[in-house]
Amino acid sequence: MRSHPFVHGFSAIAPLWLGVVPFAIAYAVVARDAGLSLVETQALSLLVFAGSAQFTAVGLFATGASAVGIVLTTFLLNVRHVLYGLALGRRVRLEGWRRPVAAFFLTDEVFGVVSSRRAPTFAYLLGAELSLFVTWNLSTLGGAVLGGAIPDPERLGLDLVFPLAFLALLVPLVRTRVELVVALVSGALAYGVARASSGGIPIVVSGVVGSLLGAWLTRGHAVQEPRLEDAIREVA
Amino acid sequence: MTFWTALAGMVAVTFGARYAGLALRTELPAFWVRFLHFVPIAVFAALVTPSLEGGLGEGEIRAVGAVATALVAWRTKSLGLSIAAGMLAFWLLRIPF
Repeated sequence: MRSHPFVHGFSAIAPLWLGVVPFAIAYAVVARDAGLSLVETQALSLLVFAGSAQFTAVGLFATGASAVGIVLTTFLLNVRHVLYGLALGRRVRLEGWRRPVAAFFLTDEVFGVVSSRRAPTFAYLLGAELSLFVTWNLSTLGGAVLGGAIPDPERLGLDLVFPLAFLALLVPLVRTRVELVVALVSGALAYGVARASSGGIPIVVSGVVGSLLGAWLTRGHAVQEPRLEDAIREVA
Repeated sequence: MTFWTALAGMVAVTFGARYAGLALRTELPAFWVRFLHFVPIAVFAALVTPSLEGGLGEGEIRAVGAVATALVAWRTKSLGLSIAAGMLAFWLLRIPF
């Protein structure tokens, strides 16, 4: 039985819920500790919907940072989404209202799952996006209401879900020597840059440098569309 | 009020970054088409390495979990099975330590 692309996209994200749920709860607990109200805590999840930026922002609110400082930090953490949009925009047809809607809910996880899909549609993309959005927001609400009665996800090791998920998405994409070189250089570079700056910067730097390296190493080759037949399958 | 001013700014820069890339629809030169082919590979690698170690001194058993995930991803190409294998290896190795 073939399910609707929306349902398919929604369930493609399901393996990541294991990581998303405890982190949204942890975010909400930290936000409440930082002095944010229930409404403010939820508003960040509903309107910004960016985990690392939300975590950082509530930390900054707690220290009394200025609005300008918080916004600039958010920009640095989230500028990586420009890369995601550039790559996804060439693979999914988005006309009219669909483009801002797709943009609003775009995240690392959605970029990961949708990039690994052959010929993704808007419905599939939106399903994946809302799968994360609904989970993130319901878990935020749960954490904000229940507060500190919940164990720290890092103590349970659940933060490991995210690097494992991106590793699982990466492995099937690496088929040529150049692709392997790009993966190794980008991974090493991100590790190094992360020593000096946290958040989105290592991803932007490594994403740009690694992709430039790949494009340069394949100069003179015929242009090939992304070959994703071998990409990871979803659980569905 | 500071919170709502900051929130408005956060929404603007976050949505701006998410929209900017999707909005660019011009035909790209061949070099940049190849560049975009490598973006998922470079970005996924960069999303793995900084957070693999973790903050609790468990870098080695987390690395074993990553090897389990990589092997299962290579053999099965299933996201769910790959994550499950890595987490299971990590949790099992965590018991004796």
